[in-house]
Amino acid sequence: MKTDGSSRGKVRAVSILFMGLAHLLYFRQYLKGLLFAAAEIVMLVLSPFFVRKLRDLITLGSPQPELPVKLRDNSVFMLIDGVMVCAVLAVFFALYVLSVKSALASYETFCVLKKHPGKQAGRRISGNSFPVFGLAPTVLLVLFFVVVPLVFSACAAFTNYASPNHIPPNNTVDWVGFENFSDLFGGEAAWTSALGRVALWTLIWGLSATLTCYFGGLFLAVLLQESRLRIAPVFRGIFILPYAVPSVVSVLVWKNLLNGSFGIVNRTLMELGWISAPIPWLSDTLLAKFMCIFVNLWAGFPYFMLLTLGTMTAISPDVYEAARIDGANRAQVFRKITLPLVMYQTTPLMIMSFTHNINNFGAIFFLTGGMPKVSDSTITAAGGTDILVTWIYQLTVNLLKYNYAAVVAVLLFLVIAPFAILNFRRTKSYREGEL
Amino acid sequence: MQRVNTGIIFLFLTLVSLVTLYPLVYVVAGAFSPGSSIASLSVVPFGDGVTLAHFRYLFESTNYLLWYRNTLIIAVFSSAGTVVIASLGAYVFSRFRFPLKKSMMMALLILQIFPSFIGMIAIYVILLRIGGIDTLWGLVLVYVAGNIPYNVWLVKSYLDTIPRSLDEAARIDGASHFRVFYRIVLPVAKPILTFLMISSFTTPWLDFIFPKMVLRSSEKQTLALGLFSLVTDKKNLFTTFAAGALLVAIPFIIFFVLTQKTLVTSLGGAAVKE
Repeated sequence: MKTDGSSRGKVRAVSILFMGLAHLLYFRQYLKGLLFAAAEIVMLVLSPFFVRKLRDLITLGSPQPELPVKLRDNSVFMLIDGVMVCAVLAVFFALYVLSVKSALASYETFCVLKKHPGKQAGRRISGNSFPVFGLAPTVLLVLFFVVVPLVFSACAAFTNYASPNHIPPNNTVDWVGFENFSDLFGGEAAWTSALGRVALWTLIWGLSATLTCYFGGLFLAVLLQESRLRIAPVFRGIFILPYAVPSVVSVLVWKNLLNGSFGIVNRTLMELGWISAPIPWLSDTLLAKFMCIFVNLWAGFPYFMLLTLGTMTAISPDVYEAARIDGANRAQVFRKITLPLVMYQTTPLMIMSFTHNINNFGAIFFLTGGMPKVSDSTITAAGGTDILVTWIYQLTVNLLKYNYAAVVAVLLFLVIAPFAILNFRRTKSYREGEL
Repeated sequence: MQRVNTGIIFLFLTLVSLVTLYPLVYVVAGAFSPGSSIASLSVVPFGDGVTLAHFRYLFESTNYLLWYRNTLIIAVFSSAGTVVIASLGAYVFSRFRFPLKKSMMMALLILQIFPSFIGMIAIYVILLRIGGIDTLWGLVLVYVAGNIPYNVWLVKSYLDTIPRSLDEAARIDGASHFRVFYRIVLPVAKPILTFLMISSFTTPWLDFIFPKMVLRSSEKQTLALGLFSLVTDKKNLFTTFAAGALLVAIPFIIFFVLTQKTLVTSLGGAAVKE
């Protein structure tokens, strides 16, 4: 081994040839080298198994009506196993890259020190491996419980995995390319109109739910802060209550209060003589939509109120002091200082809240269950107040149309991703390039 | 003029307070009123007298205590798991340079967009394969995994604001990475970790989809499942539901009112950090 850096190519070639070989041969980093080598040996031993799983992923099994149900090819297991094998392979290749980089790094140390880095390794090795062990739980959990399921669902969008003809283990599932997409985008009238309707309402819902909560919270915070009422803390204590009550509970309570025939709201109004017939709060499509937004406002304004109060108290008193010296009155201070600062600091959270609301399953599901029924509900399971996420749930749980549910999920991603990415591009660590 | 304004503001705030309290009053009233469904509940709160029958029913005829215990176990473990794993991961992301770091951070950012139940069929099959169906730990695993992408980002951004000189000094003194993490970084990061602990502790109390999918047997139900089963379309035991809901909500409300001040500053602080 030369120490002038000219053996770099050789080190790289050897480390690529077999994982850990360079560590063992050149740098006397035996423990590290053996661990790397062991990983590669395990992979090699398991490779026939992996190849079989990957082949299954491509074919998704073949129909075997002659076998008992239990023994038939289960396409869904094949699909998930295939995706998991891909994940394992990805981890392995990442490890491979890591081993080559580590070998090259060892070589550089070797060039500088002119001696084997293995000799003074001792503590360094445990130090260097800390990131690996620190990240391992994060990476493994995310890989197998977040990435694999998501990839699986994206794959399902390109299969015919749906009731009644393609539900394993009785029948197999096949790849169908873009058929589901063309069905939902023009191919089948009922589905296309349902998709358009639900997507539009999802957007309207997301926007109005976010804006009402944001400005409602902002308005109340400003009133509490600026009115200088002596009992403002009492009001604040009351307004914070909806935030403290678990949302499932409060939404279910509202559902019961607003019940058309025997809900408290209608009965109260009727006993007061203000209305003669019950108002169909949750069974009229348009009214039900308003009620969804209203109940969400009830549950959601405290968060933004607290947030605004927090930012308002965090504004430095110096700024106010300076404004007062310059002769600004209270209204001017509020309009030119407080409001812009609060808006500036809470806007990212507003965008985040928008993506949260688009995905706000509970607010819709527990209040209306997606109901009332509209003309295409019997075919598509999409009710008048269903948003994309609750529709995905209905498609999966009630209709067993996993393929369409997956297409809707892909669509949902396309709607939300730009907002989420936009929001994170604004964060400090991203802008300073230290991601 | 000033006095008129104050009067209007006062009136408006009172009105909002009434709307805010409206459903809550009926939860309390429902929990103590005779009758079983919403239809038999008096429109005047406490109009039909007071009874403790629903609480008795809850403890004697349903598995309420078991639901409470299960939910508590799930909440405690998923909170602990999230804090340990996310803080360890965030520490590595914040303090080390390693290959693929940037792409991993990017991947976490993209992943936190999805509501985790989009992949629920796959999660179900994976749990089935490792024997996690109808177990509490299976559910904890799902929650912890779902919490990680967002919270690693959250904690990492917080750790980035803690000066590195602090842990470098300790390292020069001969402390190992783990020791630095445990003794120096964690104590300094306490505010964000407290926030993380609370937020991951509260999620299981509200969640419905995953417990519904993972937990099958009646002795493994959680509060959300159990309470929801009291007010389905088929049977409406609103008063019993209200009694059960009250017992869940009270600890939450006490906690939030007590920590109100800290909550305001920490929420504000989080916003300023952005």
